[in-house]
Amino acid sequence: MHILQRNKLAILIGLIPALLIYLVFSIIPIVISLYYSFMEWNGFGAMKFVGFQNFIEIARDPIFWKAVKNNIYVVVASVFGQIPIALALALLLNRKIKGGKLFRTIGFMPVVISTVVISLTWNMLYNSEIGFINRFLESIGLGSLTQNWLGDPKWAMISVCITIIWQFVGLYFIIFLAALQNVPSEVLEAAEIDGASGWKRTLFITLPMIWDSILIAVILCISGSLRTFDLIYVMTNGGPAHSTEVMAIYMYEKTFSSMRYGYGSAVSLYIFVFSLLLIWVSRLLLQRKSR
Amino acid sequence: MESQLTMKKNTKTDVQSDKKVNIKRFLKKPIIYIALIVFSLLNVYPIVWMVINSFKSEKEFSLDPFFLPDTWRWENYVEAWETANLGTYFLNSIFVAFTSVIITVLFGALASYFLARFRFKMNKFVYVLFVFGMIIPIHATLVPMFILMNKLGLLNTGWTLLFPYVAFNLPLTIFILTSFMKAFPKDIEESAIMDGCGIFRIFWSIILPMSRPAIATVTILNFIHCWNEFSFALVLINDESLKTIPLGLANFAGQYNTNYTGQMAGLTMVIIPTILLYVLLEKHIVKGMTAGAVKG
Repeated sequence: MHILQRNKLAILIGLIPALLIYLVFSIIPIVISLYYSFMEWNGFGAMKFVGFQNFIEIARDPIFWKAVKNNIYVVVASVFGQIPIALALALLLNRKIKGGKLFRTIGFMPVVISTVVISLTWNMLYNSEIGFINRFLESIGLGSLTQNWLGDPKWAMISVCITIIWQFVGLYFIIFLAALQNVPSEVLEAAEIDGASGWKRTLFITLPMIWDSILIAVILCISGSLRTFDLIYVMTNGGPAHSTEVMAIYMYEKTFSSMRYGYGSAVSLYIFVFSLLLIWVSRLLLQRKSR
Repeated sequence: MESQLTMKKNTKTDVQSDKKVNIKRFLKKPIIYIALIVFSLLNVYPIVWMVINSFKSEKEFSLDPFFLPDTWRWENYVEAWETANLGTYFLNSIFVAFTSVIITVLFGALASYFLARFRFKMNKFVYVLFVFGMIIPIHATLVPMFILMNKLGLLNTGWTLLFPYVAFNLPLTIFILTSFMKAFPKDIEESAIMDGCGIFRIFWSIILPMSRPAIATVTILNFIHCWNEFSFALVLINDESLKTIPLGLANFAGQYNTNYTGQMAGLTMVIIPTILLYVLLEKHIVKGMTAGAVKG
């Protein structure tokens, strides 16, 4: 313990570089947004203190609430799309099987690719004239099913969510696979001797044993899909007619197109609070269930 | 006598259920394979479709978007590379990603060393403060980050992106490294001190080399994050000569949205290095990207 006493200075020197960058560029921005959220400011002119005006205006803007709804839509679609598909695939692949490694490699691949590249690629797949999906439907005689996938408010949100699900299924697939491989085979063998069928074993033994991983995956999935911005920005930029607009797009639009920095800061705070709240609530709910 | 009978019965049903199991097993394999193959096709085909069509002329693509091209037009690639300014974007991305990864890992490892190996009053508080960064919603900081960078005169410079990238990658880096370094036995430092090593010397020549597997994980993880990052670049960088690949590509696609095969050639050039890197370092990448989840 003698090294500690002598070395307060060393500890300080060791922590300060990381702490400084982290505080200035990660914590301070949140404090800054609190300050600016009470201002009306176009970025270069004079600032005007407006009290809670920005917050009130946001709360009264139906487009903001539409964005909140779309955010929740993305979260729900991700949780109920990504997690079950990933779990089913992991259960299928959790055995000795030829080519298992290849399936795993391919399964995880989209997770590594940049969101912008994925968005642009899917834009082309969805393109109403040259896109793969419509051309394919036409060529198999289902031309009546073709849609303007990203241009039609009815379909745009669904199309965007499919891409989001596609992008991240692999992540949860690998997480579940790792968890499944930690389930001791003796337990399953014992259950087999007791006469538990395959389905029963999965339902009553395997799933409860990896419940913690499922829980973590769901929380990860919620906080991840709350962050959706890049993908929608590149694919639809919130359109058509705000049908795919999420909170972050709304914030970007108001700040950098309408040049309202105070208003944008207030939206940032809403996002911050909503996100933390949703993560906290989901953690609470899921943890209770697991007990 | 009776017990014998039941035994017989039992063996009979066993044989029957064995048969059933066999049939099930026989059917099971193909079904599993079909499901996995469908999944793999869904994962790979969008990319393959793009690569195939990137070699076609605009006209050929509009006639036949499904099969291999008649002639492989490499010109598309030359053209896309030049019109999209990909060379500049690549250089910028390489600089930003490498520099921020080096800074993050170095500062992160140093901080982790003190957080993991030393006892002091604020230890727990500082650690929790860092780890809290993992749940800060990044896009909620875009606007204040822009205002802050504007005030600091750091908009649109070659260094701009390093600051948010380092700041937002430190939490996970410190989280992973601290838990790794905590597992080392206590007497390492003690014997080193006996030999007259200073604190930073211990870090540099003992702790750092011992942490190599975890360092590899966070390095790759941070690299992928920085390489793919879009939101901060969008908000903080305007200058064409400073744009990174994701930002440049988003622009390029917006401007040339009628030249589809050219766009595909551009995207292919960006996607190929990523996939190659992934295939080469798969184990590390997967480990890194799931580390937060598995330990969290």
